[in-house]
Amino acid sequence: MDLMDDHQQYQESLALHALDALDAAEARALEAHLVSCAECRTSLVEWRDATGLLAHASTPAAPSHELRGRILAAARAETRAPQTAASAKVVPMPIASRRSNLWPNLLKIAAAIAIVGLLIGMIVFWRHDVGLQRDIARLTHERNRTADQLARERDARAKEHDAVAMLNSRDTKKMELAGTPTAQNARGTFVFDPKTGRGLLLTEGLPTAPADKAYEVWFIPKGHTPMPGKMFTVDASGQAMVSGEIPLEARANAVIAITLEPKKGSAAPTSAIYLASPGS
Amino acid sequence: MKAESSKSSDGDLLRALARGDQTALASIYDRYRLILFGLVMRILHDRAEAEEVLQETFLQVWRRAGDFDEARGRAFTWLVTIARSRALDRLRASASRGRVASEAAQMPRDEVGDAAEDALRSEQGKVVRQALTELPSEQRQTLLLAYFEGLTQTEIAARLGDPLGTVKTRMRAGMIKLRELLHDKLGNSM
Repeated sequence: MDLMDDHQQYQESLALHALDALDAAEARALEAHLVSCAECRTSLVEWRDATGLLAHASTPAAPSHELRGRILAAARAETRAPQTAASAKVVPMPIASRRSNLWPNLLKIAAAIAIVGLLIGMIVFWRHDVGLQRDIARLTHERNRTADQLARERDARAKEHDAVAMLNSRDTKKMELAGTPTAQNARGTFVFDPKTGRGLLLTEGLPTAPADKAYEVWFIPKGHTPMPGKMFTVDASGQAMVSGEIPLEARANAVIAITLEPKKGSAAPTSAIYLASPGS
Repeated sequence: MKAESSKSSDGDLLRALARGDQTALASIYDRYRLILFGLVMRILHDRAEAEEVLQETFLQVWRRAGDFDEARGRAFTWLVTIARSRALDRLRASASRGRVASEAAQMPRDEVGDAAEDALRSEQGKVVRQALTELPSEQRQTLLLAYFEGLTQTEIAARLGDPLGTVKTRMRAGMIKLRELLHDKLGNSM
């Protein structure tokens, strides 16, 4: 997954993060990203401002009149408290007791060192955790990609399997297609099952189609205009394997032809025939 | 004094608070007690607990006003965030969660106490409530569950019996729509 993808994903999580609705692991990963992404930090501020307005969805209500006084009194009391604490600290220690306080001081220093050590440990673990999460995300992505690839390969194998089964079946009929003067080296085989109408076309030696064109299959029942079939392209050696359904009218007795058409397909052939079954 | 403080911006008041100005604390209390108490009540459904939380909120505002940074969001957002997280902490600590669950997902009731009149006059409040009614109800529901019950996306999915992906999509869509609506109607003040 590249960095822009990551950034895009984090952008999409910002609204939910502003609601504190992300799950813990997702929120941690996003927080780690925010450290290095000013754009996301700015967006998050905007989302938080919007989220804050949700407070208005509640019905305004009045607290008791006494509460105001209690809060102001508590605030006043707090203002005095730190001063008392501060003045207590500057009372000079009797000289005699200074020595005896050496050990407790050493202990305090030791404790401070231990705490710093612990903090460093926590930071190391946290960074390790972020690294692990990134690894997991990458591995998941790779696994998904491999799964996609496997699925594609499985599809291709299933197709080949079907093709072989059709070629070997006693119920199918087989026609050889020959290249016309337009594509002298081309040849092809068309196999179809008259009962189900399933057909399979194998080609080789067809020229590679230009980017805006593709080959189109035509079924031409006796006395009918050509009926369009599937569009296909060929690989470097002119090979293709196309399977599809044959129109009902063309199942009994029809000629198969291949022409080169604009990519989106034509309703009637517009080019010379490249490949055709006998009888055309 | 009162006339003077009502002219000061939220940011000015918080800066005065940071310098230890107690009249600024009184002003900010008078300005936001209704909306903040309404918010805390909506989360806790208990007056006594809500008053305690409101007191803790304003004392935290008093102690930490120096931390407020206008570059990181509006003063209103800062105040509301403190009140909401304190109320949600209290909610999680108390066993009253089951009791309030069903009520909190509902829309605000229409009737308002007479003391709340001046807050209701606030254009912003009206606009937000109106915007919420314009959201599809299933989007609104997820936002309210997250905001007033402090549920995560996974908890919301479990509560509603909907797939997590659906819930995430709804929440994101809801937030985007809400922000658009608020932006159209409140413009720069949002």
